[in-house]
Amino acid sequence: MKVYLKVILLIIVIAVSASFFASSHPDGLEWVAEKLGFIETAKESSSIMTDYTMPFIQHAGISTAVAGLAGVGLILGLLWGVKLFFTKLNPNHPARI
Amino acid sequence: MHIPNGFVDPKISTGLAFAAAGALAYCLNKVKQAVTAPALQQALAGAGEKVTTITSKARKVLTQNGRQTIEKIGLMAGLIFAAQMFNFPIASGTSGHLIGGALAVIVLGPAAGTLAVALVVIIQSLFFADGGILILGGNIVNMAVIGGLLTYYIYVWLKKLTKSFVVSAALAAWCSVMLAATATSVEIGLSGTFALSAVLPAMLKTHAVIGVAEGFITVALLGILRNVKFYNNEEKI
Repeated sequence: MKVYLKVILLIIVIAVSASFFASSHPDGLEWVAEKLGFIETAKESSSIMTDYTMPFIQHAGISTAVAGLAGVGLILGLLWGVKLFFTKLNPNHPARI
Repeated sequence: MHIPNGFVDPKISTGLAFAAAGALAYCLNKVKQAVTAPALQQALAGAGEKVTTITSKARKVLTQNGRQTIEKIGLMAGLIFAAQMFNFPIASGTSGHLIGGALAVIVLGPAAGTLAVALVVIIQSLFFADGGILILGGNIVNMAVIGGLLTYYIYVWLKKLTKSFVVSAALAAWCSVMLAATATSVEIGLSGTFALSAVLPAMLKTHAVIGVAEGFITVALLGILRNVKFYNNEEKI
């Protein structure tokens, strides 16, 4: 368990520091698309946390950090849910009997 | 390297979605077999009956190690998601970020690692509008299947060749980025969005540099994970 806590701490440190030092330059693919001139064929998509920002937080860094941690939480929550579904919630599991 | 909607023709996107679904089904099946075992309790409960009926009725349940595997897949996916947010600037106005395919498969193994990266790509597409939904299959093929599953076998081959963990991990990470960039270029070229002869060299030139960073970050994170005993030499799935 201690190992997992260390990894979770590492994830939080990376997510938060990445939020404040992220480069605003386009990524490799976008840059190539801009340079060659087919970037306009991309269709803008939007979602709850478009561009890694929380819509209701004004500060750019904090907004990204919160969005990033929310994403990490989503992933961890999903897998922990899967684990629970197959152990505690499964009546046939030896751990339950 | 997340392709937005519009770059790739819908027909090619559909084909890639099927390819991604097939690859993920294969990986899910592999992981499922590794993390489950017939329920011992059930087999014991019916000890008086015929052995054949016991074994046929015994349902598979998650093992103790299996539980750890699922937790590890979750933590790796979380780590890669966070690390992908780290956009590092590269010369001439572009930036790069980790893909994490090599890292995931080296830590978890080919099937489990591929699932971890696919999970990251799916969450990014659904909740962060990073990578189009229509081309989600293509992004999974590029980053999880080519950048992960295929990269694992490149890593194994490189490890035999170089006999060095660090060198083979770094080289595999670089290869994963170059291969993913090649696949992305081919998909865009086949869609008629732009000529492959122009996209491919431009993509490879940019990603040759991004790949070096991928190699460094992969080795650095592997070092940290090894230090906290998250990464070990257990059998990979």
